Amino acid sequence: MGVVTELRPDRFNDPGFVNDLLRQHGSPLLVLDCERLREAYRNLCASLPGVTLHYAIKALPDPTVVATLAAEGACFDIATSGEIAMLQSLYVNPRNTIHTHPIKRDRDIRDALRFGCTTFVVDNSDELLKFVRYRGRVALLLRVCFRSKDAKIDLSKKFGCPLEEAANLLEQAKTLGLNVKGLSFHVGSQCSSPTAHVNAIRSCNALIRKAYSEDLAHLGILDIGGGFPAAYDANTPAIEAYCAPLREALSELPAWVETIAEPGRALVADSMTCLSTVIGRARRSDRIWYYLDEGVYGAFSGQLYEQLQYPLTVLKEGPLQPSVLAGPTCDSIDIVAESIELPELEIGDVIVGRMMGAYTAATASEFNSIPRTPIIALDAPEPQQQVAYIA
Amino acid sequence: MAKFTEVLYDDYGQLFGVDEVFFEHRTDHQHLLIFRNSRFGRVMTLDGVVQTTERDEFIYHEMLAHTPILAHGKARRVLIVGGGDGGMLREVCRHQSVEHITQVEIDASVVEMSKQHLPNHSQGAYDDPRLELVIADGMRYVREASETFDVIISDSTDPIGPGEVLFTQDFYVACQARLNPGGVLVTQNGVPFMQLAEVKSTAQRLAKTFADWHFYSAAVPTYIGGIMTFAWASDDTTLRQVPLATLQERFQAAGIKTRYYNPAIHQAAFALPQYILEAIGK
Repeated sequence: MGVVTELRPDRFNDPGFVNDLLRQHGSPLLVLDCERLREAYRNLCASLPGVTLHYAIKALPDPTVVATLAAEGACFDIATSGEIAMLQSLYVNPRNTIHTHPIKRDRDIRDALRFGCTTFVVDNSDELLKFVRYRGRVALLLRVCFRSKDAKIDLSKKFGCPLEEAANLLEQAKTLGLNVKGLSFHVGSQCSSPTAHVNAIRSCNALIRKAYSEDLAHLGILDIGGGFPAAYDANTPAIEAYCAPLREALSELPAWVETIAEPGRALVADSMTCLSTVIGRARRSDRIWYYLDEGVYGAFSGQLYEQLQYPLTVLKEGPLQPSVLAGPTCDSIDIVAESIELPELEIGDVIVGRMMGAYTAATASEFNSIPRTPIIALDAPEPQQQVAYIA
Repeated sequence: MAKFTEVLYDDYGQLFGVDEVFFEHRTDHQHLLIFRNSRFGRVMTLDGVVQTTERDEFIYHEMLAHTPILAHGKARRVLIVGGGDGGMLREVCRHQSVEHITQVEIDASVVEMSKQHLPNHSQGAYDDPRLELVIADGMRYVREASETFDVIISDSTDPIGPGEVLFTQDFYVACQARLNPGGVLVTQNGVPFMQLAEVKSTAQRLAKTFADWHFYSAAVPTYIGGIMTFAWASDDTTLRQVPLATLQERFQAAGIKTRYYNPAIHQAAFALPQYILEAIGK
């Protein structure tokens, strides 16, 4: 379980480097590698040429991540007023943002408009009505749902209108004087195959052409969402291989359709490493238990919410034995690895968790009054005050 | 050259070349930016939306100040709500007949920054001894103050943001209570071609409150999308019917040199296009 055979070489195999970091910042510690983040952004850009990437802030709402991606030219996908506040504090140009939460309070709409974000996502009739009073200012993307059996997390159950209802909603929007300027969809998160993505693009293509020929709406934007997989294990398709069939499907769209995407995990997963320390151990029945200072109520929260296993390594060698890694809280659910082959560890030894950027710190809690694990950044961009609204 | 893009509308907007940024700051209430454009001079924006520029501000400020004051004819006490850039205060101060001016601005930093970076707006008016400057929420002030005024000018931001409350029924009712008999309230009310809903809702609210209400208009180039409207509300129905000759007498007596306002414009500004009349149910 959980252990990946091939890891990209990095500095976290070097005990000197790791121990220096922990001496300086304490344990547990999340280490953000901004250079890896830039690399992930550039890779996805290269795999999806012509597609504007809006980073889904929710995956890792960290100011250094946002600043690093903004400096690379990324745009942003926002879902809440809290995310807006962070973008404001970093002087992100609101013209480079879209608000993608399909369900909004009036206050959420106003906060976004005040920020200067004027593109919103809707998926039902009630949401359309909420925009009538702002119709002079906003443009909408209609979110359509496509269920995917290959997605680790299905995002089309909670949000999105069925394809068959899209034409009716476009008709209603037209009657209300609302500008629906495009479509969006989410096939899920951590998709193991591009098939659902490709099918969704093709279905949207047909809808875009139908809406055009029937003069329902000029759908000039297609938002293909996120779902691009992060390489947690050897079975995950590489980004380039995943995107190749998407490129082909996108090339079939009318030339006047602009494509955007909302990657979260694919950008940040590989950029963060979690360092935690063995704080206790015990032999219980046939296994040795190691108690860590980090667990599923902290940075390993993705294991609870997403049933994900992150690649874990230790900094010493020796004969392997089945071991349990448990988190620091009193809850018996707080187990990081149930049966992992490890050499014998001592109190003070370090566990390195890789690929821990996405939905880790973002969903961590302070259960048991254990504070959140701090994030430190390597190769962070120079602080640079850009003037918002000016490009 | 750097460009400023206004973020008011999704599918339409104005673009300014930016010669130089003088000031950018996030206050507790809003995001403030002052830069220079070769055509419009110094431009001030709040939350990415143009509030005022040196070259076209005279149209807005003259129409929102002189129209009610000269229609009233003997305004002694004037209340300005908002107007932190000082342009409205400057125009009101030009009336020697006005004895007292209260200005209520929510954000002290807007006043300070404008004095420093938009000095041509206030032109020293903040030193006028007739002025009482109150840094407070305009809504709270009109609700809680005991002073009364002959003219109330609401020089607010758009209804999305800190100016929101200045477009509510509560605000109009509170202003009515602060007006002396024969007094008048005027407010900026946006560009109706772009945002007809704002004119509609203001009309409905004023109709419930005042004996006489209407809108008048002027085209301000950087409030893009056509003419902008100013709301007019009074319990004195004669203020909107002042004869041209009377306005001319008052204008001459005031001895004010203007660049946009004159009595003929004053009267003509109340003539509204059909699409606005229809929207306000007149």
